[in-house]
Amino acid sequence: MILLKLISWPYARKHLLRATLTTVGIVLGVAVFVGIHLANGSVLAAFNRTVDRIAGKAQLQITAGEPGFDEEVLERVQALPEVGVAVPAIEAPVETGLKGQGNLLILGVDMTGDRSLRDYDLEGEGEQEEVVEDPLVFLAQPDSLIVTREFASRNGLRIDSRLSLGTMEGPRQFTVRGIMRSEGLGAAFGGNLAVMDIYAAQKVFGRGRRFDRIDVAAAEGVSIADCRRAIQAALGPGFQIEPPSSRGKQFESLLRVYSMLMNVNSLFALFIGVFLIYNSFAIAVTQRRPEIGILRALGATRGQIRALFLGEGALAGLFGSIAGVLAGIVMARVLAGYTTSVMQGVYGVSESAREIEASPGLIAAALAMGMAASLVGAFLPARNAARVDPVQALQKGKYQVLTAGENRARRIAAALLAAGALTPLLFTRSRPAFYMGYVMMALCALLLTPTLALWLARLFRPLLRWIRPVEGALAADSLLQAPRRTSATVAAVMLSLALVIGLAGLARAGYAAIQEWLDTTLNPDLYVSASSNLVTRSYHFPDSMTSELRALEGVEEIQRVRSSRILFRGGVVMLVSLEMESIARRTPRRRPVAGDLAAMHRLAAQGKAVIISESLAQLQNLRMGDILEVAAPRGLLRLPVAGILRDYSDQQGSIFLDRSVYLRWWNDSSADIFRIYLKPGVRAEDLKARILERFAGQRRLFVLLNHEVREYILRLTDQWFGMSYIQLAVAVLVAVLGIVNTLTVSIADRRRELGILRAVGGLAAQIRGTIWMEALAIGLISLALGLGLGAVNLLYDIEMARRDFAGMTLDYRYPFGMALALVPILLGAAWVSALAPAETAVRGSLTEALEYE
Amino acid sequence: MIRLFSVSRHFNGKRRVTALEDVDLEVARGEMVSIVGPSGSGKSTLLNLIGGLDRPSSGTIHIDGRDLTRLGDDDLTRLRRDKIGFIFQFFNLLPSLNCLENVALPLHLRGWDRRKIALRAAELLEMVNLTDRAGHLPEELSGGERQRVAIARALAFNPPVLLADEPTGNLDSHTGASILALMHDLHDRLDATLLIVTHDPAVAQSCPRTVALRDARLVRDERR
Repeated sequence: MILLKLISWPYARKHLLRATLTTVGIVLGVAVFVGIHLANGSVLAAFNRTVDRIAGKAQLQITAGEPGFDEEVLERVQALPEVGVAVPAIEAPVETGLKGQGNLLILGVDMTGDRSLRDYDLEGEGEQEEVVEDPLVFLAQPDSLIVTREFASRNGLRIDSRLSLGTMEGPRQFTVRGIMRSEGLGAAFGGNLAVMDIYAAQKVFGRGRRFDRIDVAAAEGVSIADCRRAIQAALGPGFQIEPPSSRGKQFESLLRVYSMLMNVNSLFALFIGVFLIYNSFAIAVTQRRPEIGILRALGATRGQIRALFLGEGALAGLFGSIAGVLAGIVMARVLAGYTTSVMQGVYGVSESAREIEASPGLIAAALAMGMAASLVGAFLPARNAARVDPVQALQKGKYQVLTAGENRARRIAAALLAAGALTPLLFTRSRPAFYMGYVMMALCALLLTPTLALWLARLFRPLLRWIRPVEGALAADSLLQAPRRTSATVAAVMLSLALVIGLAGLARAGYAAIQEWLDTTLNPDLYVSASSNLVTRSYHFPDSMTSELRALEGVEEIQRVRSSRILFRGGVVMLVSLEMESIARRTPRRRPVAGDLAAMHRLAAQGKAVIISESLAQLQNLRMGDILEVAAPRGLLRLPVAGILRDYSDQQGSIFLDRSVYLRWWNDSSADIFRIYLKPGVRAEDLKARILERFAGQRRLFVLLNHEVREYILRLTDQWFGMSYIQLAVAVLVAVLGIVNTLTVSIADRRRELGILRAVGGLAAQIRGTIWMEALAIGLISLALGLGLGAVNLLYDIEMARRDFAGMTLDYRYPFGMALALVPILLGAAWVSALAPAETAVRGSLTEALEYE
Repeated sequence: MIRLFSVSRHFNGKRRVTALEDVDLEVARGEMVSIVGPSGSGKSTLLNLIGGLDRPSSGTIHIDGRDLTRLGDDDLTRLRRDKIGFIFQFFNLLPSLNCLENVALPLHLRGWDRRKIALRAAELLEMVNLTDRAGHLPEELSGGERQRVAIARALAFNPPVLLADEPTGNLDSHTGASILALMHDLHDRLDATLLIVTHDPAVAQSCPRTVALRDARLVRDERR
């Protein structure tokens, strides 16, 4: 401790900028980790709170996926002696159209029985109390709505205020007949909740005579488990009977892929933090060798020296982690909004987190992680410091030079790691082996970095010298003389760039795959959707609308599509019912992953098989001929897989079956989307106008032209791959931090050299020039290595996308566009990084520089 | 050639340190002057101020008619490059450049044509008898050879003023004597004004004029 105070503190104070830059890496890593987990955790917690509040005293919820089930199921459940209370519910978000209010979650309930499960905690307002106290009065007026105090206050609503909501029959006026206090149920969905009668909700959302779920409380003296068993036995395997909390797990499973990608980012940021710590400590050890020598000469043991540097590492980690946690909390507020919009756009599920709650566990984990990363970064330099020979340390020497022996050892280790990295990629499907190989590949690149950076610096020297004989040569020489000083920065930037290239390559391949899918599959001229976007499924069209559409002039063919999420093998997948015969005829150019296109559609149209998406096959390890067991309200549907197709409509995977099978097993004739093909010579815009005119004021519908759907999907894809831009920002930040750090040290090391240059006539611009050129050389070397490593990283990323993330098989497409864009971006960042250090070099005292030893 | 009027230099730290106090000095073109005095008397500070490496706290310094204290950083650098040649005790050669490149350094900084630079650098190395060492790095040379490279570099533009700070201080007596002889020879041939800061009485004695400093003040100005 005393050494920390006497030796470390004065050093840190003298090199305050570097000490700060050192901790920035840890701050960044911890902030991203905390930000992501807090944002996701808060969105999830908000969802769970909503589920909890809406569930009230319900102990079990009966569902059959998004399609819901017939009303008669309620009677069967209510008849069971093990069931105390069973009340139906419909739950769906609607757009309010109110500025800044987003969605309003509508809870459709049967007011006559529901209050035994849910406490509405209504505010009384004179005579109005009667209305809400007597459910029959509420029911007698089908436009009744109960809103929360928070929503009412935000929008200036009172009892009897009118509110317009989008219904299946177009916008309708509703009347506020009750206001809930902002506690319990009233606080669900951030207060954006309204209760209406369930039969009114059926009409609003076009549910027909169906419910989304039944909330159940067990009869007195009956355990929840017994109650559940009795319901399952009565309803059969097509229904899920789970406690309300299990809905949180389903939501979490939707967040999984997104969270995994974000976690990769946070781990990466921390990895960069380790590098920055390593870089700074390695430099500090080199610069403080005489000091270490004196300490050793005075009797300090190796252990004390090691402890001194590790102690500094721990302190840097502690301060960095604390700052990181604080920055993470700020970041979480921004990320929560992003997460919500991704969930809404990609999955059609929304939950906005208004409060960010930092759990003590998460903060402790973040602190521990930051400290551990810092100690890992400081470990090797601390060990090297402990090994310093006091006699040598007090002499002048070249400690930075890499010895031939060291280089050889690195190359041998790198060759072994490369072999280890390639083996799992080529010969095994084992997941641990694959990820081990990935780590080995990264380590191999790290080991080779100093050697490769040295070779490249030698290669660039003539070029730099040719550009500026003095400034260029000195810049290159600075890199050649101190490879350790540069290589950690080069390695960090290289890894960062490799990740950008990997993500950009994935995005490029993903775009190409999605483009092909759009070209071959999404080819109708018009789409008629019940929701403004194609992923929200709150509203459904009745089947009767098909004939009404068909009667319109210019319509050649209509395909009805009904998509809904269902539980499958413990996860959530998309069930898509289609008119298979028509689909086969209209999409003949699709390239199947497995099976014959015509045969699979024929079997599916006959109701003898299903087709699955490639992503489902990959994620669930399904093959041709496997029998799928899908729980439906009518029982357990068992059908073989007749074909596997590429389909990107849902990341969790999709099961396609014929509409006739869906009708039979789910008894649901509604549709979400109509795919419409035009007769030759008909303009899509004209038919769109006719459809809007025909259904004006009667139906809520959105008509989208083919190019609008394509643009919408590509926009979503853009949003999803937006993470590669975040990664790009991280790469630039790493480059800036690393290069600033390296140059700061380089200028300190070259103080005398720069002083000589100024003494013999070097102008300020020329001194700046040599610093800028050094920065640009670091940028160029990092670019060369990063773009190269990115090519290898992309191989692994594509394999990861196939195995674990999205089940997508993507072609290898190197992102040349991104690589080209990176050149000016990184060189620009390098130049910006050099500005402040160059000014330091220009403004330093010349006499001190020349006397500097 | 060189004129100092009431020049002082103070360093303001926790306590004020006076490195040079109220110094007046005039050196004519072609003079050879040794500056002597005990450690800390202000010799190097005086040389640094004359060379434009440092700026006085008060007073004025004129070199070849130009007031250094009124020049901006870049103008001062240009004056240093064109009018002053430095020879340091520790040679101050750039370790990564070979002898020829070190000598060519000021020429490159001035932006000369590469062919002209090659010719001039070779000529300068020949002047100090180091043609055969042109491609060697400083670490491959002896102390005397390094100092000769430094002298060649200082003569790049035939500057009218040469400033030498303990030029023999880091050399054995035999090598020191040969470097001193070389400096005398160059002074005679080039007619430059030469100021030498030294502790060595032999070096001081070899100069026609000696200026002595003590406790930051000029205490003696002796001509032989």
